[in-house]
Amino acid sequence: MMLAFIILGALTLVGGVITISARNAVHAALGLVGTLLSVGGLFASMNASFLAATQVIVYAGAIMVLFLFVIMLLNANQPVTGRDPVPFVRELAGIGGTLLAGAFVVLAFTYEDPAPLATSAAALRGGTAGAVGETLLTRFLLPFEAVSVLLLVAIVGAVALVQRPVPQPDGVPDTEPAGLLAPDTGLVFESVTQEAVLKERGRA
Amino acid sequence: MVPTTYYLALSGILFALGMIGVLTRRTAIMVFLSVELMLNASNIALVAFARSWGDLTGQTAVFIVMTLAAAEVAIGLAIIIAIFRKRETTNVDDLATLKG
Repeated sequence: MMLAFIILGALTLVGGVITISARNAVHAALGLVGTLLSVGGLFASMNASFLAATQVIVYAGAIMVLFLFVIMLLNANQPVTGRDPVPFVRELAGIGGTLLAGAFVVLAFTYEDPAPLATSAAALRGGTAGAVGETLLTRFLLPFEAVSVLLLVAIVGAVALVQRPVPQPDGVPDTEPAGLLAPDTGLVFESVTQEAVLKERGRA
Repeated sequence: MVPTTYYLALSGILFALGMIGVLTRRTAIMVFLSVELMLNASNIALVAFARSWGDLTGQTAVFIVMTLAAAEVAIGLAIIIAIFRKRETTNVDDLATLKG
């Protein structure tokens, strides 16, 4: 059990380091896949079998495929070159992160289990889909339904954000989909298509 | 059984790694990947606490966090694509027009 924890924990941290340090974004995403799979293994070692399955299916499956799609769609796998506008950001982030990790580790070792682990782990009933689903649909029914509404909003919002403006046949200027910024100022909302329409009107 | 403290320490280190990533990476997508690291670190801690207390509430919270992460990624990546169409960049240094 301890050996499994050491291997999975090491894989998790190695994947995390690859994620934050890889120059190619695809490599970083693949490092995160490694981390997510190892975290799934850690869940399984903590009597959370349903969450382990969900982690692999939802996180390592669906979310990471979405990430890789967008990285390749935007051709964003090249690193950002050029000087960083914030001085010493890497050094400061490294120092801050080390301090934060140290503080978390010190805090973690002050934690004491309220009961022997063997008895409390048995109360989880293995964390199977049945056990988690029972809690989710009785005590946490309202959050569960709220999350389903949130997912619906996310679906509609994602479609609304990325749809292109529909060309209007009657000379009415096309409207921009919400949330887009004009290239220069970020404040001007007149669109290129509107300028084109005005130019055409002047020509006519 | 592996003590809860080891899982909590691992979760803290992973969270700090994610924070370093958020602070140092300069592409919006990479910042997102680092945020996923931090979410996973918190999930490890929640599952560890659930096992320590013998209460399934922690595991239920992790399930909801996963759903929130999925919604966040869908909306966030849609925003990144919308910005990329306008600006041809996802560098967060260039997207600082709202800076006060």
